[in-house]
Amino acid sequence: MRIEKCYFCSGPVYPGHGVMFVRNDCKNFRFCKSKCHRNFKRKRNPRKTRWTKAFRKASGKELTVDNSLEFEKRRNIPVKYNRQLWDKTVEAMKRVEEIKLKRQAKFIMNRLKKGKQLEKEEAIREVKKNIHLIKAPHAGKAKKLEEKMVQKLQEDVDMADGDI
Amino acid sequence: MALYNFKKIMVVPTAKEFIDITLSKTQRKTPTVVHKHYQIHRIRHFYMRKVKFTQQNYHDRLTQILTDFPKLDDIHPFYADLMNVLYDKDHYKLALGQINIAKNLIDNVAKDYVRLMKYGDSLYRCKQLKRAALGRMCTILKRQKSSLEYLEQVRQHLSRLPSIDPNTRTLLLCGYPNVGKSSFINKVTRADVDVQPYAFTTKSLFVGHMDYRYLRWQVVDTPGILDHPLEERNTIEMQAITALAHLRAAVLYVMDVSEQCGHTLQEQLELFNNIRPLFANKPLIIVANKCDVKKIEELPEENQKIFADLSAEGISVIESSTLTEEGVIQVKNEACDRLLAHRVDTKMKSKKVHDVLNRLHLAMPAKRDQKERPPFIPEGALLRRKAMEVDTPKRKLERDLEMELGDDYILDLQKYWDLMNEDEKSDKIPEVWQGHNIADYIDPDIMKKLEDLEKEEELKERAGEYDSDEESEDEEMQEIRALAKQIRSKKQLMVLTSKEKDVHGPRMPRTATKVEKKKLEKEMRGLGLDVNDNEESHYVQQVRRSRSVAKKRKRETSAPPTSKTRSQSASRPPRDQSGLRDPKMAKKAKKMMKNSQKDMNRLGRKGESDRHVFDLKPKHLMAGKRKSGTTDRR
Repeated sequence: MRIEKCYFCSGPVYPGHGVMFVRNDCKNFRFCKSKCHRNFKRKRNPRKTRWTKAFRKASGKELTVDNSLEFEKRRNIPVKYNRQLWDKTVEAMKRVEEIKLKRQAKFIMNRLKKGKQLEKEEAIREVKKNIHLIKAPHAGKAKKLEEKMVQKLQEDVDMADGDI
Repeated sequence: MALYNFKKIMVVPTAKEFIDITLSKTQRKTPTVVHKHYQIHRIRHFYMRKVKFTQQNYHDRLTQILTDFPKLDDIHPFYADLMNVLYDKDHYKLALGQINIAKNLIDNVAKDYVRLMKYGDSLYRCKQLKRAALGRMCTILKRQKSSLEYLEQVRQHLSRLPSIDPNTRTLLLCGYPNVGKSSFINKVTRADVDVQPYAFTTKSLFVGHMDYRYLRWQVVDTPGILDHPLEERNTIEMQAITALAHLRAAVLYVMDVSEQCGHTLQEQLELFNNIRPLFANKPLIIVANKCDVKKIEELPEENQKIFADLSAEGISVIESSTLTEEGVIQVKNEACDRLLAHRVDTKMKSKKVHDVLNRLHLAMPAKRDQKERPPFIPEGALLRRKAMEVDTPKRKLERDLEMELGDDYILDLQKYWDLMNEDEKSDKIPEVWQGHNIADYIDPDIMKKLEDLEKEEELKERAGEYDSDEESEDEEMQEIRALAKQIRSKKQLMVLTSKEKDVHGPRMPRTATKVEKKKLEKEMRGLGLDVNDNEESHYVQQVRRSRSVAKKRKRETSAPPTSKTRSQSASRPPRDQSGLRDPKMAKKAKKMMKNSQKDMNRLGRKGESDRHVFDLKPKHLMAGKRKSGTTDRR
């Protein structure tokens, strides 16, 4: 029993689910659900269909080259069962999975950092352009001017006092 | 040859059916409509066609019957004899002859009536002639009723005859009823013949096939034969005799040693001697069956002598028991070998052999040197042969285990696995974990790779790749963000309010509507400006001014406005004077206007004010028929 990969969306196909299509050149295509199957029949390229993993990997939205991804590989030569080896493998699998997830998350975060930068600039531009919608340009200026004048008068008075 | 044609004979219909079919066919397939007033040749042709069509149909069908049924002279004498036994040659030939006669009669009838039809001079006469013709043909056929029925039965029985190839290697079983012939054939071939305790269970010949020495063999089971002269034999026995007579086969005469069949050994011996002439030129084996009940050694003296005599004559006697299966294989092998030898001998004596012999050449290679080159037999084959010969205790098979445990038996193939540690054989091997196949990760150097990965990971962490870089933003940035948010929400609000206004058509500019003081003040206050009730502010003065002007207008009743438009345009300069400083500029503007219109006027094209027909093809002029109006106006 194995969990296969859907040809179109690269999702898991559990036993008892999905459809397999065998072409005349003996190539098998497995699909996890009828959505993928119908897309395939419409001859859509999974590398161009945005919601598939194939697209995401091909357009650099997800981590593609990494050592932690080299562990899961379909091997064509079966290995004889050996309890120790199996135990070790299961442990290793869990650790590798952790590391893989961490790295994938980091990759995506790095990609989205640029967006934050753009957001900041956008906010600054917005404020510069349209501040007049919420605050009149010389909103507090009259008061400030008054205060300034009051201050100046006060200074003059002080100076005058000082003179005297 | 004639072997398989028996199944392909077409169904012979009963007389009534035959007539019905043909007449309805005539009605359907020939034209049906004819009138009195047609030309006479047409009427004649019409009816002649019907007569001929019926005749043709009868002829075809009867000819088909005649050709389908096998001619007794043309088929293998075994089948000819068998058919004679089963169906009586004379009756068969008679029936077919009657059919032939009927066919000829029908042809003659049709010929006569067609000739007569040429002289028919009215529709009625022709019709009567046709009726007569058809009636006579049908009567002829009605008289063949019994023949047709008989032929149908023959056909059905014929198609169910076993397909015995008279020329191939055959083993023939014969003997008294209930001696064990059918049991023998059941054991040796895949045939499934009825075996019952009463006599004449097998009522006809049965064929089974088996393989020996890479060849296909037929085994023919016959009904039992009783001991009386040939003339007194019934059909069932005659079938057996026919088979014995015509098939070139190895004969297995089955005798019942235990006399359970109801006949003593003496009687069986008598029968054997009576039918001995039929065994001429055929390899003969006597099968002493039911030896599990009684062996030959246990028999009394005289009976043993019988067997001794038979062996002395050179006929091999083999003991067998179809119940315990001992000796059955021996019988088979012996019979097959003897028959093969006999057939080879016959072929050698015939003339055809030389053609084959001339082409055969056995090459004997000359010895190159004195080195011994014995055939190589692998050890395994030797071991296996040894195991077959000696009755060594075989290893315990799964089957034996299954029989032992009965219902509790579970097939556990894991115990045959060849692993490095024997005690791991019964482990449940995990296959899947959290959506990943464990088989994809199995690698002898997985631990090493994991170590490398961990090292890499450590390096990365130390380099700070995984530090979360949330820069705490300074206050200014936060403020800017808040403002931006406010601005966006204000924008949305403005859009919504303008959508709500729902104004279709031309819009009034803002300056046309009057703005209330309170509203203005509120808006300005919202934008952060300080608008207290200031007496000197411009907008307050403006309000006062406009109010005063309106008031003044009300008090003075002098000089009422001549027209409504005047009152509005009086406050504003007319459009061709607005924006122009002096008459010189006004003149220049007018000149420019005239200039731009020159081209258009020269071309004489339609301008804005020229009459425009909005509907080039009005429906009330284009639709409808031209009744009593004119087409002058469209």
